[in-house]
Amino acid sequence: MRRIICASIVALACAVAMPTQAQSRADASLKEDYVRAELPPGFQVVYTELEGPVYADQNGKTLYKWPYQSLRNGYVGDEKGKSVCTDKTSTTSAGLMSPYPPGLLLPDLDTRPSCTQMWPPALAGENSQPVGKWTFITREDGSRQWAYDGQALYTSALDAQVGDVLGGTSRSRRGMRHPAAREPIRPLPNVPPGIMVVTTFKGRMLVNREGYSIYVSDRDTANASNCDEQCTQVWKPVLAPALAKPQGEWSVIERAPGVLQWAFRSQPLYTYARDIRLYTQKGSDESGWHNVYTQLSPAIPDVFQLIDTQVGVAVGTAEGKTIYAYTCADDALDQLSCDYPGEPNVYRMAICGGGNVDRCLKRWPYVTAAPGATSNSRAWSVITIDPRTGHLARSDTAGALRVWAYRGRPLYTYERDAPGDIKGNAMGEWSGMRNGFIALWVREDFAGNDT
Amino acid sequence: MNVLADRRPAWRMEILAAAALAPLMVASAAMAAPVDGKIAYLTTDFHWSVYQTADGKAECPQGLVEHGPREVFTQLFPNGGTEIETHLAREALKYFPEDTQDPFPYPEAVGPMAIGLNLDDKVGPLDFTSPDGEEGIDNQLFRIIGCSRQFRGPEGQLQLFANRGIRTDLNNRSVIELSGVDSLENDDEVQVTVYRGLDRHLTDASGANIMPGGTQRIDWRFGKKYIQHMTGRIIDGVLHTDPIDALVLPWGIFPGTFGEFMFRGAKLRLEITDQKAVGLIGGYADIETYYRTLGNWSTHHLAYGQLDPSGFHRKMRELADGYPDEQGVMTAISSSLRIDMVQVYLDHSDPARPQQQAQR
Repeated sequence: MRRIICASIVALACAVAMPTQAQSRADASLKEDYVRAELPPGFQVVYTELEGPVYADQNGKTLYKWPYQSLRNGYVGDEKGKSVCTDKTSTTSAGLMSPYPPGLLLPDLDTRPSCTQMWPPALAGENSQPVGKWTFITREDGSRQWAYDGQALYTSALDAQVGDVLGGTSRSRRGMRHPAAREPIRPLPNVPPGIMVVTTFKGRMLVNREGYSIYVSDRDTANASNCDEQCTQVWKPVLAPALAKPQGEWSVIERAPGVLQWAFRSQPLYTYARDIRLYTQKGSDESGWHNVYTQLSPAIPDVFQLIDTQVGVAVGTAEGKTIYAYTCADDALDQLSCDYPGEPNVYRMAICGGGNVDRCLKRWPYVTAAPGATSNSRAWSVITIDPRTGHLARSDTAGALRVWAYRGRPLYTYERDAPGDIKGNAMGEWSGMRNGFIALWVREDFAGNDT
Repeated sequence: MNVLADRRPAWRMEILAAAALAPLMVASAAMAAPVDGKIAYLTTDFHWSVYQTADGKAECPQGLVEHGPREVFTQLFPNGGTEIETHLAREALKYFPEDTQDPFPYPEAVGPMAIGLNLDDKVGPLDFTSPDGEEGIDNQLFRIIGCSRQFRGPEGQLQLFANRGIRTDLNNRSVIELSGVDSLENDDEVQVTVYRGLDRHLTDASGANIMPGGTQRIDWRFGKKYIQHMTGRIIDGVLHTDPIDALVLPWGIFPGTFGEFMFRGAKLRLEITDQKAVGLIGGYADIETYYRTLGNWSTHHLAYGQLDPSGFHRKMRELADGYPDEQGVMTAISSSLRIDMVQVYLDHSDPARPQQQAQR
């Protein structure tokens, strides 16, 4: 049995708060701990279902940044110390995503909002004072806008309740999965140096500093490793430095004299020597081994199932058909999203029906909800849609459909898919990432390049 | 047939490649039977077969395809317009190519030479002759890709990047295993099984050159659909497989897009040694699958090689020559893919191990 190192100050907590293994893997009530830091008065940390703890303003609205990023033909977003999100409504495309030139008239100009209408700046009061990383930038009109680590902050017009993160996500693949590219800002996770937390579909997952997934074993007991020499050929203990100290949910076990290993919620941690990709769940295929989450995402609704495809696990219908989400941002300088019901529908209509709504509804039918169907979470919801417009509708609207949504966006299947197929995946502009359909991936074993 | 001889008149790099492989051909004469009668090979390169002369005039007398997405856009919309009528209308055509009314020319490659296999064992009026004189070569796809910068070597986007993905993307790790092999020189009956591997290629110290002798685990879970079986024979060091109704190979031509190609009536002809396998996959490429995988590339990338998707689709439908549907419409087009492989050891371990579903 390995020795447990628990600092006296946390020894009691260590003793009484040791959750069972099942709890630490699967208890949806557990939340991610974070590093407490001083906040501007009124600002707060709120827990979200999909992003864990995020910073929010005095009204509980999630705060977002818009990091500067390169697109094919130019840059968008805020440089540190500046905001380019203004109250001037864009009218033409910016030509940022070739091969299409700039200067094309944007759709729905009579109703198109300005950037600041969609992304209200988090303005600072006259008496506000900078705190730590919280500072100000000066907007063009002279007003002061809160910034975090130099990055101007906004709320999202899409967020309605405390804990909503409909505006954007930190979950990303090559920066284009959510092409409007706004990200919630968050406190630092309370993890030791060398360990990170990444946002995945299943939850906030632990990885090491290189991005390799971290695992726990059913064979281990509380703060004791039973992974022997043969086992460690495949499962590499996540080593702690000699000066490592227990902190919060983190403890240290001594594998051998002078060889320390991190444990999280009392479970010793490992990486998987056979992982050749980052952020994988590959090691969880080994019996008794599991990825580790600081916080789990809400479970998928019972009417859905997880299905194996040729490249990973996706959310599927009860019949086994892959479910897709549609993502979109326009080619204007303010990069407004066009995937939320009520936003311009013509982008989706081009891809799903070649501009023809009947063809769209046939090829990409909504995932309809059974009468009375409800969701147990906010990540998943049942919304009412006018299928002719793609907009939210009242339940008494003629032809309205009750459809399942994820992150507030309706979900679809693809007509030409048989169960387990992913023929619709990546269909749309930029491999489906800027104006198109991507399968609702739970696990992507083959995404992107090898490490 | 000498598979490598297919490449004799082709461009300079191919001549160099053939010269480099010559010692292996000599070595193959001394090949012993593989241990347990099994040997496996891992794909390192895929290239669509394009017979290509130095100036292109022989195969492309009308010149190369010039009307790609940028050129078409400029001609159709010289004064710009609305997003809906321009940009989105062009993107819509990518997914509904049957709507196209484009008038733009699409020069075809012409014969008599093309690389490929005789898929129907006939010599027809549209067939080509291989560079080493074999008649009856079925490769109508060559007519479409032969004058497209996307496909012409050495720097066509699809030749370069899609092939690079074979090495960089785990999705594309096709492996074949020959079993029942008594000799790598001559064996009148061998079994060929296709798998997807799960490991990186083994390289030399530079990291640039793939070496034989690596190990690949088999993707028993997500790669199930790619496990396929063929039969064949080895004649003078060349593996000839019998046609298989449908051979599906994973090949996402852009990272993370998970594309695949389906070859109907597919057969392999590979020159094999204990180090390498080099040769051709011939078959009727299923048009829907081909076009869907091609369309996973952004219009931006397709524009680099003047490949307008709806124009390309129109030519595929026009020249399709196999597997008619109930209405008699051809659904596939004869094609050829050059494949390069290195020998690997397959780890068959524990295929019956219950794989956990990713549930919580």
